[in-house]
Amino acid sequence: MRSLTLESVTSLPANLSWLRTWMRPKVYVGGFIVLTLIVVGISGPMMAPYNPNHQRLERMLQAPQGIGGEHVLGTDNLGRDILSRVIYGARVSLLVAFAVVFISGFVGVGLGAISGYFGGKADFTIQKLVEVVWAFPPLLLGITIMAFLGQGLFNLILALVAQRWIPYCRVVRGQALSLKTRDFVVAAQCLGAGRSRIIIRHLLPNLIQTSMVIGTFAMASAIISEASLSFLGVGVPPEIPTWGTMLADARIYISTAWWLALFPGLCIFLTVLGINLLGDALRDLLDPRLKRTASGL
Amino acid sequence: MRRPKLRNVLISAVVFALAASSPHRVGAQTRVSIGVTETMETHNPYGDSVSLLYGIWSEVTGPFCTYEYDKGEFEGRLAKRWEVKDPNTWLFYLDERYKFNDGSPITAADVVHSMNRVLKDPQSKQKASVAGPIDRAEVADKYTVKFITKKPAAPLLSFVCDRLIVTSKAAYDKYGRDKADREHMMGGGPYRLKELIPGQRMVIAKRPDHPEVKKNPRAPDEVVYRVMRETEQRVTALLNNEIQLAEFIPPHLRKRVEASAAHRIVPVDSIEIMFFAMMPKPPFDKKEVRQAVCYAIDRDKIINTLVEGFATRLDGPIGKGQYGYDPSLQPKYEYSPEKAKKLLAQAGYPNGVSVELQTPVGRYILDKQISEAVSAMLTSVGIRAKLLTPEWPTLWANVQVGKVPFYYMGRGSVQDPSAALHQYFKTGGSPRIGYSNPKLDDLFDKEQQEFNPEKRKAYLRQAMSLLTEEAPACFMWRHKMLWGQAKTVDYDPLPDGRIYGLHMKALK
Repeated sequence: MRSLTLESVTSLPANLSWLRTWMRPKVYVGGFIVLTLIVVGISGPMMAPYNPNHQRLERMLQAPQGIGGEHVLGTDNLGRDILSRVIYGARVSLLVAFAVVFISGFVGVGLGAISGYFGGKADFTIQKLVEVVWAFPPLLLGITIMAFLGQGLFNLILALVAQRWIPYCRVVRGQALSLKTRDFVVAAQCLGAGRSRIIIRHLLPNLIQTSMVIGTFAMASAIISEASLSFLGVGVPPEIPTWGTMLADARIYISTAWWLALFPGLCIFLTVLGINLLGDALRDLLDPRLKRTASGL
Repeated sequence: MRRPKLRNVLISAVVFALAASSPHRVGAQTRVSIGVTETMETHNPYGDSVSLLYGIWSEVTGPFCTYEYDKGEFEGRLAKRWEVKDPNTWLFYLDERYKFNDGSPITAADVVHSMNRVLKDPQSKQKASVAGPIDRAEVADKYTVKFITKKPAAPLLSFVCDRLIVTSKAAYDKYGRDKADREHMMGGGPYRLKELIPGQRMVIAKRPDHPEVKKNPRAPDEVVYRVMRETEQRVTALLNNEIQLAEFIPPHLRKRVEASAAHRIVPVDSIEIMFFAMMPKPPFDKKEVRQAVCYAIDRDKIINTLVEGFATRLDGPIGKGQYGYDPSLQPKYEYSPEKAKKLLAQAGYPNGVSVELQTPVGRYILDKQISEAVSAMLTSVGIRAKLLTPEWPTLWANVQVGKVPFYYMGRGSVQDPSAALHQYFKTGGSPRIGYSNPKLDDLFDKEQQEFNPEKRKAYLRQAMSLLTEEAPACFMWRHKMLWGQAKTVDYDPLPDGRIYGLHMKALK
C-alpha cells in the first residue's frame, strides 16, 4: 500500500481530473466541429461540386435543392454554387485563423518572454507599445490597416495580427516574471546558461500551455474578425470566397433569398462554437487552479 | 373597475393606430419623407456636387432655370429668360417676384456673388460642373446678370439650370460664410431650409407666398430627405410608412413593395450613363485591349439576368431621349469573346493580361454584383481582372485625381452629353480618365461652339462615334430606376435623380 504523502495526494486526483476533462461532451462536440472544419478545409477542392467562382447568371438565386439536387444549398446572386463557396470559405477561414494564431503567438510569446525575463528598459518599452496598440478598438484598427494596405489575404492576416499578439504578450510576461526567480532557472544561470538558452530551453516550454489556451480563443476571434472585415468590404478581394463576403453579398437579398445568408452565417456560428468549446476544455485541462479544485484541495 | 381600463386601452390603441397610419400628416401640415442614398455632409451649398443636392439646394434657392422633361427644353425660373448677346456673353433676366426668405429681393449682385462662390470658394466642388465654360459673371443692371464664357459655349444652360445655387450676398457679407450657410440660409426658392443634420437628414419647408407654389397647392408642406444607404432599410422603412418615397429599389426587391396594397413601384428611365472607364496606361494604352474589354462583356445577359431587364443597353455614350442620340451610331460592340481574344493577341497579349478592376459598392444599382459578373467575363477571354471594392469615398477621391486605371462608374444628369463628355474625355477635362485625342478635342470644341442645333448634333455624333471606336470607356447601359411610393403621394420621379417637392402631390 502506498504511503500517504503530499505528492500522492496532489498527483492522483490531478490525473483523474485530466481524464474527466477529456471525457466532457464539449470536447467531443468541439473536437468534431474543428476536425470537420480541418478536413473540409484541406480537402475542399475534392469535396466541392463546382468551382466556387463559376458564375451561371441564368441560374441565379436558386433555392436549396437538398441532397441529390444539382445545387444542394442553392445558388447565389451570380448563379454560383453555395455549397462549393461554403467549402472554399472554410479553407480561407482556417488559413486566416491558423496564420493569425501562429504569427501573433510567435510575436506575443517572444516579446512577453523578453519583457518578463529582462525587465528594465526592454520591459518598459514593450509594455508601452502594448498599451498604445491596445488602446485602439480592434475592428477600427483592422479597418484602418486594411484601408492603408489594400485588400488581400496577406494584408488581412497582418491587420488581424496587429493586436492579437497582445494577450499572449501580457500573460507570458506575467508568467516569465514568476518563472525567472524559480530554482530551475537560477540553477541554469549558475551552470552558465546564456539568456537566450534560458528563455528558449527553460522558459518557453513552461509558457507554451497557457499560450495554447489563448491561441484557441484567438482563433475563434480571428475567424469572426475576418468575417467582419470581409463583410465590411475591406477584407479579401471578392473573388476569394469567404463566409464574411458571402454574408455581405447576402445582405441585400436577406428578405428574398434567405439561403444566401443562412449557410455562411451558420458556418461561422458552428466554427466559433466548436473552437470555443475546445478552448474551454483545454483551459480546464491546463489551468492548475481548476486541477486543484477538481482534486479537492 | 375593469371597464374604464379596457376602454382607455382601446381608445389609446385606436389613437395610436390612426397616428401610425398617416405619419406624413402633422396637424394640418403635410410631410413627405424620402429615403435617399446620397448624403449631405456640409452646410455649404457649394461644398458638394451630386445630383440629389443640386436638386434640394435648387429648390431652396431657385432654381435658376430648370429642364422640363415633358417639353424637352429648359424653362426659366429665377432667371425668367435669357439671350445670347454674343457667342461669349449670355444675359439672364431675373424674375423680380422671387424674394429671399426675409423678403429682400434677389438681384443680379446675388447671382454674381453666387457664381463667385462657385468659382472661388475654397470648399467649392462645383467649378467644373456648374461653371465649366464660365470665365466670370457681371451685373448688367439690378435684375440682369451677364455670364461671360472663355469660349463660345452652346450648352451653357445644361451647366447652370438645376445647378446654379443662388444665395444672399447680404447675408454672406453680414455674417460671414460659415455662419450665413449654417444659420442664415437665404434662398429664393419655393421651399426654405428648415434643418440639416450632416450625414442624416435635410428638411425643407414650403413657402406659401412663393409664386411657384400656386402652381401646385398640394405640394407637401415639408419634405424630409433621410439618408438610407441600405436597400433593405429603405424598403422596410417604406413599408412601415416611416417614409413615403424610397429611391433606387433594386429589381429583386420590387415584389416586396408591390405586395403591399398601400404602395407601388414607379419606374423611370434614368439618364445616368454607366460605363467601365480605362485610363490609357498599360495595358489599356492599346486600343485593342480597350476594345477587347468592350467585346468581352455580355451586356444583354447582365441586363436580362442580374438587373432583371430594368436597364437599357447603350451602344455609344448616350441613349434614346438624350441630346444628339443617333441609333445608327457605329461601331457597336456585340458580345464576342472570340473577337476579344483576337484583339488581345493583336495587342501583344496572346497569353492574356492581369488587371485590377475597382468598383463602388452600393453607390449604383447592383454595382458590385455587376462588376463581379464583368470580372468573370473578362477573365474568360484572358483579361484576368482582380476585383477591388474600396470604400466609396476612397474610390471617388482616387478617381478624381486619376489614380484608378480601370473602374465602374456612372455619370448622371446627361440630358445634353456635352458637359459629361468634356469632363471625362477631353484633354485636360479632368484627370478621371486622362484620355487625350486631338481629333476628339477638335470635335468637342466645334460642338460646344456651334449654336445651330443641327450642326451641333452632327459634331456630337462624330465625336461620339470616334469615342466609341477609341473606347477609353465601354458604355454599358442606363438603369431603369425603381422608386417605391406610398399611394398617399403622387410623384413622377425625374430621370436625372433630382427630387423636387414642388413636383409632388400629397393625396391625403
